[in-house]
Amino acid sequence: MIRKPLRPLAQILKVRASGGDTSRVESDNRRARHDIMMDKARIRAEGRLLVMGLAFFFAFATVGLRMAILSGTEPEEPRIAASGNPIIGQRADIVDRNGRLLATNLETHALYAQPPLMIDPYGAAAGLAAIFPELDEEELIASFTGDRKFVWIRRQISPEQMQAVHDIGDPGLLFGPRDMRLYPNGRIASHILGGAGYGREGVDAAEVIGVAGVERQFDQYLRDPANEGAPLQLSLDLTIQATLERVLEGGMMIMNAKGAAAILMEVDTGEIVAMASLPDFDPNNRPRVLTSGDQSDSPLFNRAVQGVYELGSTFKIFAVAQAMELGLVESDTMIDTTGPLTWGRFRINDFHNYGPRLTVSDVIVKSSNIGTARIAIEIGAERQRDFLTSLGFLAPTTVELAEAPSGQPLSPRNWSEISTMTISYGHGLSTSPLHLASAYATIANGGTLVSPTLVHGQPHEPGPRVLSPEVSAAAMAMLRAVVTDGTASFGEVAGYEVAGKTGTADKARPQGGYYDDKVIATFASAFPASDPQYVLVVTLDEPVETSGTEPRRTAGWTAVPVAAEIIRRVAPLLGLAPKIANLELEGVTLTSN
Amino acid sequence: MSYLEYNVKFVPSGIRKVLYLNWGLILLLSAIVAFGLLMQYSVAGGSTQPWMEPQFKRFLMGLFAMFVVAMVPIWFWRNVSAVAYVGTFLLLIYVELFGSVRMGAQRWIDLGFMRLQPSELMKIALVMLLAAYYDWLPLKKVSRPLWVLIPAVLILLPTALVLTQPDLGTALLLMMGGGAMMFLAGVHWAYFGTVIVSGVGLVATVLKSRGTPWQLIEDYQFRRIDTFLDPSNDPLGAGYHITQAKIALGSGGLTGRGFMQGTQTRLNFLPEKHTDFIFVTLAEEFGLIGAVMLLTLYALVVGFCIVSALRNRDRFSSLLTLGIAVTFFLYFAVNTFMVMGLAPVVGVPLPLVSYGGSVMLVLLAAFGLVQSAHVHRAR
Repeated sequence: MIRKPLRPLAQILKVRASGGDTSRVESDNRRARHDIMMDKARIRAEGRLLVMGLAFFFAFATVGLRMAILSGTEPEEPRIAASGNPIIGQRADIVDRNGRLLATNLETHALYAQPPLMIDPYGAAAGLAAIFPELDEEELIASFTGDRKFVWIRRQISPEQMQAVHDIGDPGLLFGPRDMRLYPNGRIASHILGGAGYGREGVDAAEVIGVAGVERQFDQYLRDPANEGAPLQLSLDLTIQATLERVLEGGMMIMNAKGAAAILMEVDTGEIVAMASLPDFDPNNRPRVLTSGDQSDSPLFNRAVQGVYELGSTFKIFAVAQAMELGLVESDTMIDTTGPLTWGRFRINDFHNYGPRLTVSDVIVKSSNIGTARIAIEIGAERQRDFLTSLGFLAPTTVELAEAPSGQPLSPRNWSEISTMTISYGHGLSTSPLHLASAYATIANGGTLVSPTLVHGQPHEPGPRVLSPEVSAAAMAMLRAVVTDGTASFGEVAGYEVAGKTGTADKARPQGGYYDDKVIATFASAFPASDPQYVLVVTLDEPVETSGTEPRRTAGWTAVPVAAEIIRRVAPLLGLAPKIANLELEGVTLTSN
Repeated sequence: MSYLEYNVKFVPSGIRKVLYLNWGLILLLSAIVAFGLLMQYSVAGGSTQPWMEPQFKRFLMGLFAMFVVAMVPIWFWRNVSAVAYVGTFLLLIYVELFGSVRMGAQRWIDLGFMRLQPSELMKIALVMLLAAYYDWLPLKKVSRPLWVLIPAVLILLPTALVLTQPDLGTALLLMMGGGAMMFLAGVHWAYFGTVIVSGVGLVATVLKSRGTPWQLIEDYQFRRIDTFLDPSNDPLGAGYHITQAKIALGSGGLTGRGFMQGTQTRLNFLPEKHTDFIFVTLAEEFGLIGAVMLLTLYALVVGFCIVSALRNRDRFSSLLTLGIAVTFFLYFAVNTFMVMGLAPVVGVPLPLVSYGGSVMLVLLAAFGLVQSAHVHRAR
């Protein structure tokens, strides 16, 4: 850098020439040089300050901008992957075919404790023991004063209990909201609804899961948020279900039966309008599963679906219908009924001796085992098995119940000729009453296969044809005659043309052979006979009718009156108009003018 | 205006000094403190205890300290700056040896009536010493290596000491504050370039040291860096602060939830809600508008300091004023960047708003220095 000298000769000479002070030159120049330096320093300092200021500005701007962006965003709670999917507490309602509530949810609370938050564990334990008598104060104190951080006390408490716990006032006692499943109708349709319990339980919610019945079968559907809470509509009619259960229960008591089942089904769609199994239970408070003994003695056991029984003479109509379908017989063909029929070492007897021969129709009306067996021989084992398979008798029913697959029919491993004969009158093949109802519906609706269902309003198409309409009509005529002239005379209900077939089967001993004083009495019916709409199957387990001089166990004395009473009550509820043309109006005097 | 024509017209003296205080600055500082007190009241659920009342008392103490410092001539402060630095440095060593350990860090000396953080004091002492140093150093020598090395050592000594406490936030503030002083004093660009490049290298080394026997920083500091890079990784653990803070900022919106209505803070979702994360409370309750108001107040304080520095011909005074403004700004910037997820969580309070005695007292006393420079400047 070339700097201006402090005492430049030219300037000194000039000043000397003008007579000035030369020392002034030096100080002036020194001052000018200092000024230049200061200016430079100042410019640099200002530049630095400017850079700093810019940095400040950008920092402030960043903060402001970031804040604006953040405040513009919707706050989002963090999702934690580790704790699994959120518990969805909401569960869809279940309603009957008319939209009446069968199952719904009620918000309730769980009670839990966080001992670290507790002020007075002893007082709290004493208070809780007073509110919930089943809790043990000592145990509570032990769990409150130990080093546990969390203790469940009750999974479900009532509002009154909640208030009482509030009144204890301990901050360590906490409530967690959760839904509980409520069945407002109590025991009605208990086996169909099944019940619900808690799955994963959290403090803020608990998962309600179905444990049986449709609750279990449709668990995914009921919990699926995509359905937006749309209720599950069953084919049941609450009124009819209640009526059927009430009559069946009364009938079971009168007939001294230890169990009973009844199914009312639409013959065209297979929709089950009412279905009951007794004894039953309250799904709001399901009994525990039996840990010993026979599960079929538990009230949880659904006799209509899970129970498989030899259903006796009710099966005869299938042999006759098949023989007619195959063209082997007509309804007035004469069948040899001389007995006993011996086949190898087996002998087949009739309840009464019906003489040497009967028409096919009378074989049904009088319920001749021998006649049916002879028809079955004509059909043959293979064709019989195929026909029963096509009616759905050899596989569990497909009804929408979690228990349905356990209703596996029992059929002979070796379908011999003797099996063919015994099966034709209902022994040797064990099926559920629901199987029987579906097969009767198939006969009654003109011959198309019926699959039982519990869901209302599904698109319905007739099943594959099993019988021709003519055979169906002929079979219905025979069944009608059973009521008018045969074993089911107690089944007549004025105006509703009940048609049906009784069946009384000796119960099999577990160790083999049959009891001679324990029967399954069944009445399978369809009504009205001229235009069958409904099928009703009533099964009583070990009934004994004791009004006479000796105990009577046959279906005609036990199951039939119960079924008749059910039809008498529910037929008007089903909207069936009684046929009054042929009706003898008892106790009504017709008057003219 | 030439050198000799420049003459000191007058410097106020005695009680007249009060008239020459920078009253605008005092007003701004009080407004910021008022914001803080409001938030302390709100965070405590509408109660003056346990935070607002002690904070207010400390504000009064700080205000008094500011006046006392402001009345003392600025040249006195220049002359004692070296003493202040050495004294504070000794205190830092004392803390290192005997300080009480709190929250994983040795930061306090318990004086009985308050807990003194020498590291806070050091931020101001360092600025004072550097201002005095560059006032003393002829301009020509500013960029010479030896004369650059001396302030660098002066900065790095306390920084290293603070890092061992360990207090990353204060160390960062010391480094940046000292660096800014050197920058403002006119040290050549090349030095800063070198430091920045080697700083990047150092960060790379530190990150590489993870999990090795010579790991350079604590595990929790590594975790903070991790979660800074992606807070959603660990929303309930180390990322909790930031995630909740962002929720609060977002839920505030433009106008906020209203005074005492902040759920994030009221419901205890946010830890440190009355100290480091108080800005979140403010943003949730007063929204973007309230936050920008506070932002403006901070910017005005810095602006007032810059204007005061520009009008001051005394090199020590203007450097000191700018240095304190920078320190103040750094507190604010690091804190807000941190709570808004722009920087890792390093534990720097929001100046004058966060609950905390040392920072409030030290900062107000430091603004006393600014006032002193303002009052005693040549007019």
